[in-house]
Amino acid sequence: MKLFGRKEKSTGEILAGGENAIANKEVEGLSQGQIVRRRFFHHRAAVIALVSFASIILFVMTSLDVKMGPIRIPGWWKWTTEDIPELRFEDCPGGTTGCPTLSLDPRSGAFGMGTHPFGQDDIGRDYFALVMNGTRRSLMIMFVIGAVSGFIGVVVGSISGFYGKKVDSVLMRLVDFIQTVPTIIIAAVIGKAAGKVGPLYLALFLGVLGWTGLARLVRAQFLSLREMEFVDAARVAGASNLRITFKHILPNAVGQIIVVITLIMAGAILTETGLSYLGFGVVAPDVSLGLLISQYESSFTTRPWLFWWPGFFIISIALCVNFIGDGLRDAFDPRQRRRITKRDRLQAKLQNKAGE
Amino acid sequence: MLRYIMRRIALAPLILFGSTFLVYNLAAYANDPLGELRLSTDDGARQQIIALTRDLNLDVPPPIRYFLWLKGILGIFIGKFDLGNTRSATTVWEELAYAIPVSLRLVFVATITALIIGLALGIISALRQYSRFDYAMTFLAFLLFSLPIFWVAVLLKEFMAIQFNNFLSEPNIPIKWMIAFSLFTGLFWSSLFGGERKRFWSVFGGAFATSFVILWAIDFTDWYLNPGLGIILIALLSVGIAFGVTAISTGLSNAAAKKAALTMAGLAVVWYYPAQWIFNNFGSYFTIFILISLIVLTGLGLSRVYSKIDRGPIARTAIITGILSGFLILVDRIMQSWNDYSGTDAVNGRPVPTYGQRKDQLVTEDFWLNNLDIIMHLVLPTLALILISVAGWIRYTRGALLEVLNQDYIRTARAKGLNEREVITRHALRNTMLPLSSLFVGEFLGLISGAVITERVFGWQGMGTLFLRGVNGGDPNLLMGVTLLFAVLTIFGNLLSDLVYSLLDPRIRLGK
Amino acid sequence: MKFTRSAKFALAAAASAALAVSLLAPAQAATRSTIVIHDTNSLTSFNSGTPDTNLTINSKVGNLSGIGFLYIDNKKNVIRNTTFGNFKIVKNSATDFRIAYTVNPGLVWSDGTPINGVDLLMSHVLSSNKFSIDAGLGNPDSDDVPAFNSNGYGGTYSDNIVGLPVLSADKMTVTLQFKQKIANWDLYGPGPSPVHTLVLMAEGKKGLQSVKDNEAARDRFYAAYTTKNTAVLKSMGKVWSEAYNITEVNSSTNDLLFVGNGGFTVTSAVTKSSVTLKVNPKYNSGPKLSGTIDTVVFKFIADGTAAAQALANGELDIYSGQPTADAVAALKKLTNVNLIGGINACYEHWDTRVNAAPGQPDYNGLFKGHGGKGADLRKAFLLAIPRQEINEKLIVPINPNAPMYLGSTFIAPGFDGYERLVANNGSSYYVGSQDALNAKALRLVRKYYPTASASNPVKVNVLVPGNNPRRAAEFALAKANALKAGFDLVGDVQASWSPKIQLSTYDAQFFAYCPSAVTQAGSNANFQLGGGNNRNGINLPQLDAILNKLQLPLDNRAYISTIIAAERIIHAEGLTSGVFLHPAVTAVNKDLKGIKPSPLSDDVVWNWWEWSY
Repeated sequence: MKLFGRKEKSTGEILAGGENAIANKEVEGLSQGQIVRRRFFHHRAAVIALVSFASIILFVMTSLDVKMGPIRIPGWWKWTTEDIPELRFEDCPGGTTGCPTLSLDPRSGAFGMGTHPFGQDDIGRDYFALVMNGTRRSLMIMFVIGAVSGFIGVVVGSISGFYGKKVDSVLMRLVDFIQTVPTIIIAAVIGKAAGKVGPLYLALFLGVLGWTGLARLVRAQFLSLREMEFVDAARVAGASNLRITFKHILPNAVGQIIVVITLIMAGAILTETGLSYLGFGVVAPDVSLGLLISQYESSFTTRPWLFWWPGFFIISIALCVNFIGDGLRDAFDPRQRRRITKRDRLQAKLQNKAGE
Repeated sequence: MLRYIMRRIALAPLILFGSTFLVYNLAAYANDPLGELRLSTDDGARQQIIALTRDLNLDVPPPIRYFLWLKGILGIFIGKFDLGNTRSATTVWEELAYAIPVSLRLVFVATITALIIGLALGIISALRQYSRFDYAMTFLAFLLFSLPIFWVAVLLKEFMAIQFNNFLSEPNIPIKWMIAFSLFTGLFWSSLFGGERKRFWSVFGGAFATSFVILWAIDFTDWYLNPGLGIILIALLSVGIAFGVTAISTGLSNAAAKKAALTMAGLAVVWYYPAQWIFNNFGSYFTIFILISLIVLTGLGLSRVYSKIDRGPIARTAIITGILSGFLILVDRIMQSWNDYSGTDAVNGRPVPTYGQRKDQLVTEDFWLNNLDIIMHLVLPTLALILISVAGWIRYTRGALLEVLNQDYIRTARAKGLNEREVITRHALRNTMLPLSSLFVGEFLGLISGAVITERVFGWQGMGTLFLRGVNGGDPNLLMGVTLLFAVLTIFGNLLSDLVYSLLDPRIRLGK
Repeated sequence: MKFTRSAKFALAAAASAALAVSLLAPAQAATRSTIVIHDTNSLTSFNSGTPDTNLTINSKVGNLSGIGFLYIDNKKNVIRNTTFGNFKIVKNSATDFRIAYTVNPGLVWSDGTPINGVDLLMSHVLSSNKFSIDAGLGNPDSDDVPAFNSNGYGGTYSDNIVGLPVLSADKMTVTLQFKQKIANWDLYGPGPSPVHTLVLMAEGKKGLQSVKDNEAARDRFYAAYTTKNTAVLKSMGKVWSEAYNITEVNSSTNDLLFVGNGGFTVTSAVTKSSVTLKVNPKYNSGPKLSGTIDTVVFKFIADGTAAAQALANGELDIYSGQPTADAVAALKKLTNVNLIGGINACYEHWDTRVNAAPGQPDYNGLFKGHGGKGADLRKAFLLAIPRQEINEKLIVPINPNAPMYLGSTFIAPGFDGYERLVANNGSSYYVGSQDALNAKALRLVRKYYPTASASNPVKVNVLVPGNNPRRAAEFALAKANALKAGFDLVGDVQASWSPKIQLSTYDAQFFAYCPSAVTQAGSNANFQLGGGNNRNGINLPQLDAILNKLQLPLDNRAYISTIIAAERIIHAEGLTSGVFLHPAVTAVNKDLKGIKPSPLSDDVVWNWWEWSY
């Protein structure tokens, strides 16, 4: 009944033709890049997510020292994860220690970050520094997994889908093979072998395992796109395989690819969390958000700040990445309708009336 | 096509060989089965090391030991399939035979429920693209995507079990919670139906008032201590179901279907008391099966009574109505056991458990008590799995349906004058289901192997737990047994979804 | 839309009406007689005596269904159970040491069969390598599985027993002969087992038999035992090794498996979920039961947080584990639960390397060699471990009564003679304010590295056990403090660390030993040349000689004096330093009384007769 939206003659039906007209008019004479950018910046949620994400990265990266070989850029935060300051007892609720000093109440005298805005851990280390360090690790893991999986997935998927036949067959069996190797085993091996340099290796190997879904998707896209008339047309016009792939097929598949990559990235942060919970992820003394949240799983009734802050960053990052992906999908999809605002509807209605 | 499938199946052993060989050696490298024993100062430790080395052939280097394991697997061709022994004197085969049904029970209910909820929300979301509801669902889906499951589990246990059980010992819903919950319900329904400001507020007011009254009634009568639906409620709900099912299935304009559905609802009410007697005296799965068969037969009969033409949709409408109404009576019967269940020594007035598959102390022959116990233990893990996987289904369904709705054949269908219900149920939804069905295969198989954390947190002894035991406990044969099973499932799952793809899109030519 | 809304109104009205008439049954508040005990591991067998089934949960269940001449209480004291019987030394010379074990008359198994001395003889079958070989049951030290696949072969008992245990004429007394006085001889005595059930099951019986048949079956075992009848013993061994390896018990399970003389007998079990025991009405082999408990359930929950939440939800009556400080704080908040803080048998300690372990490449690091530079730097290193700070920050939040220093790695605080031990064993060298200890350490370091300081520290390679937040924190604290003493601790985090302890790469390691018995010589393997746990190349003949004395029976005074002598050397050499006892927490349903957790692996189940509601 009502769930199906329209009844007889509603504005929606009138708009069925009109919407595309609005959208088409909007993009007349623009290059694809311009269209995508324009559409993306019209997606309010995606823009908010992008700005938040950029702010989080900036905030996190500048807070602590950045060490690259001999170069050392100092961060603005006073503690590092190696400092062990005195544990604070004052004003802590219910006999707890190391409670947070962050105060957002402008009336109180303590407004601002204070010495330990997110509190302190069991032995007194500054939790803000730990969370910042953990967020860095988690971001690194996320980007590495996204990049590695994205790259391998697109390459394997395109080759497989474009050439088909034997190549496809071999590559898809490789996908089967990779999918049968359990992630936890790889994580356990890395945990054993890599020791202190763990997180980067962990991310690389998870990336090497994580591309299979993307490859299958890219392949499916290629399989159906290569049968399209415009590809035939390009081929008749003498375009090379590379040109067909990059100029004709990939641009049509890029929306889906980006969405899947953002899903992989958002999933990566959770995979890391899950592995840390099971004891196979990032290993102390290294810090990651997943490790912090699983380490303080039981503290949410006693020292909730130890639990909420890493959780807050995990959820924020995953949310941002998902929304950015959503915006990109809408922006890249040539068939996707732009969001129709109330004003558009009104205009269309008026035009329609005028037309009648 | 057949040749293609045969070729894929023929290649499977090769992939299995490669991946098991790799995993075997990686696992042997990562985990020392004797690790803890080597540290022990016990007298018995030395004897244990001797015994384990002997039983698991630990004196053979892993790459060669793999072939000893493989020999047992290859025994399948001569009827002597052997997955080896675990380190705790059981065979891997026994362990798997125990764990597989457990995993299936956990995953099946959760996947099906998540699928139904996700489909419904995703479809509405797509049909109401860029509405408040759509935004809310998008946000909800992304939020659920971002939650670690063990954290969800801890919260569920705290609030749905511990706090709820505490609440049951002194049941009293505070008025502010009634208001808060009613506000939420009001917002949900009003954003779902959307529309102009006036309509928004009238829906909101109606839903708010309704849920407030229901909550108040529940609180006033202490319904949660002795729940049940009763014949009156079942009658009302059945009529509602009859209308709803008819509207979606055939459209309310189909008078014969409407009559058949309403008759079915009436029959459900008439059958209420006889059903109680049957349930009390012959409670078993077989009885339920018989009753379902009866409903199907009745539905077919009704379609003959009410119409001479086009009986399929009418029978379908009647049968769905009958099954849903029957389900209500079943739910009512299970609810009637609530008080007995809660009062047993094993449950001790705390009916929502946080842990395990069954209350083993609860020894009873009562079909309903046993089932209620199973259901209560399923509640929390299922809820956790649903929360995590429903987000995916909302997004997939929304995306797939939007994709379909933009296709030319939908425009054609509208142009030729089909009404919106038919366009959507007949043309759009069917084409949406195909890609989703291939996803479903993957999701289901993925959950069986991927519920490791859920199983651990809720103490379910399924495949995930076995796998963890294999890795953590240094139990190579156990680990390999589980890995082999996952690998087989993955390979055939992939084959299945490829086949679905090719059925869906004839332009994709497999194996050419 | 219109329909839906009005329908909902109608529904609500009707619902209130329908529900108002429904009757309210008051919630029941029956007195409980069931006790549900948590365990981390799942039961794998009802016989914990084989190498494959040697799990604490298996032996806990066994503990409730059997009792013998003695038990060990929560203070690690050996208590004699005189209701069951008595034992005494009947001959005590340097080369001939005999003890007689006498069972009291009138005791019965749960199937009604009277208990006698023949029931004690199974212990010998299960522990003596010589008997196994002589009776043709297989050599336990070879690669073949012996007929009785027992975990007890090859230990002190087997090495020292002489001949067969002798049964007296009235069949109530068994006399054991050892070739020398052995330390803790009382721990090696025989325990009762219902041998008739093994015989009956070996003969294919599927259920309980009459008392007369049972006694006849027992006589058949005795005959086979004295004549070393391989066939009979082998068939019994098969039953003993295999029949108990079940995890599912229901009405169709063979009752012969669960005959015992303890207060409770197994009645049902669900694989990987739980085991249920009911009170044994014929029980008379030990202290009288309190009488208010008739059912004991072991519930298996692997995840610590999950178990604590199950306790909060009333699904468990006893939770025991090693939770985090936060979990303890959360448990403290529960109103229906008593929290019993305590320790378990594990002690955390830091070890230093002296030389390469056997089979490892040469060690040429900082701490090389006994005496001189090596010893000084080792001592300095151990001084720099901030033991008090580690305890205060990591242990006290879990166990407020934790001792701040472990003055000995041989016995724990609270043990008889501990005070005298720590006053004299050289441990006082390592006690003081951390600033003073740091200064002392820095002086020692500067003897060899005059420029050593916080900004120019000496590197020490430390193996850090991974996957353990507490150890990560412990290492962070140690690293921060050691800098003040001029050491830079370079941690190598290894998730799978146990096989790496012996690597010459590491100058120091820290981990825990968990001695599960109360034997005197339990620590010998850590320090003696050739000892199984001597992974740091310790080679001190003088120390070896002192430790060898612990192999012989000593009274408490002599025992403590021997440890003093040994630990003086250990502390002077800076070989090891105990840091903390691992805290364990037991949380108990407030209505339940008589729960006294023990630091040994039996945990709460050692005094089941005292439990009551």
